[in-house]
Amino acid sequence: MIRLPFLLLSLIFALCAASPAAAHGMKVFAKVVGGEVSGYGFFIGGGRPQGVHWSAAMGQTALAEGQTDATGGFAFVAPAQITAPVTITMNTGDGHIAQATLGPERFGAPPPPAAAKAAPANSPALSSSAPPQGDIAAVVEAAVAREVAPLMERLEQLDARMRMTDLMSGIFLIIGLAGIGLWARGRRK
Amino acid sequence: MAHIPDGLLGLPVLIGTGALAAGGVALGLRALDDRAIPRVALLAAVFFAASLVAVPVGPSSVHLLLSGVMGIMLGWGIFPAVVVALALQAALFGMGGLTSLGTNTLNIALPGALVGVVLGPMIRNAASPARAGALAALGSVLAVAGTAAGVALALFLSAPEFTPAAKVLGLTYLPLALVEAAVSGTIISFLARVEPRALHPRLSPEEDLPA
Repeated sequence: MIRLPFLLLSLIFALCAASPAAAHGMKVFAKVVGGEVSGYGFFIGGGRPQGVHWSAAMGQTALAEGQTDATGGFAFVAPAQITAPVTITMNTGDGHIAQATLGPERFGAPPPPAAAKAAPANSPALSSSAPPQGDIAAVVEAAVAREVAPLMERLEQLDARMRMTDLMSGIFLIIGLAGIGLWARGRRK
Repeated sequence: MAHIPDGLLGLPVLIGTGALAAGGVALGLRALDDRAIPRVALLAAVFFAASLVAVPVGPSSVHLLLSGVMGIMLGWGIFPAVVVALALQAALFGMGGLTSLGTNTLNIALPGALVGVVLGPMIRNAASPARAGALAALGSVLAVAGTAAGVALALFLSAPEFTPAAKVLGLTYLPLALVEAAVSGTIISFLARVEPRALHPRLSPEEDLPA
């Protein structure tokens, strides 16, 4: 019986050496830039779901659907009026289902009256050639969305990263549980 | 695949499968003895690490389950092994979910436990290690099929629009079943040759003496 733990432990360490390269669980990344919602699905650790069905809905209203491209990507035009969070659902058809939800705040500037209210009351009068406040806010929102999109993407990837330390913690937690079990049984005797 | 995330399954499915999985875990814990505890832990660690290694297949990606091997070596002890590994995968990597833990445990552990109950005695009494390996390979294919059926049923009962398509299931689970059969067959025939007692979830007291 001494050899079995050795065999199993070597199997575990061989698997640990391989696992950071590829892993499991699907996620969806979505961003809004310039009136278009785009993004992609990815498997945690690597790989993209290619040619799988995706659909987008705002509340109960269906917005768009289609098949992902070779990089697992999707894109559709953002609706003009956002009345509810937009949810993008990807389904590989074998039980892998992932969703991403974009709140209304991700879809650009607030409506013009709110923007006008936010401006300071004593701001200098605008010359007649300057664009209205609402337009400026929309341009700034679009520029910021474009700039932060790569950051959002990186955050999503970091969030889903498989860390070797987590993997080792999991394995040693299991071994620790076995130790606790043996100790508890030993105490009862 | 076998890791159904949170938020997809209906409450009746979650409660029903959760209760069945809890029953399985209780059954498994009751069967544990001093010899079985380290073994359950080691196989839980193997399953934890093995099911993190995924390979892209077709539009999806698959990973080993090793539920056939666990069922043969642990019997009902497969339930505590799977529930601990799945809970850690959900907590550490966001794979599967904590509310769907019972469903995922049942989908993976029950087919393995049944393979252990039905094919286990035949594997332990097999005339040769090769025959034991072949039976284990068959058991693994059945366990993978059982898991696929469990996942499909849980999704069908909760959200019929998410029911896996038979074609995609065939594309992804069939290669998985074949690889699983090869890996499990190799492991079991190797153990039958070098350490046949490893294939017994429990030993009778007179057998359980230090080698």
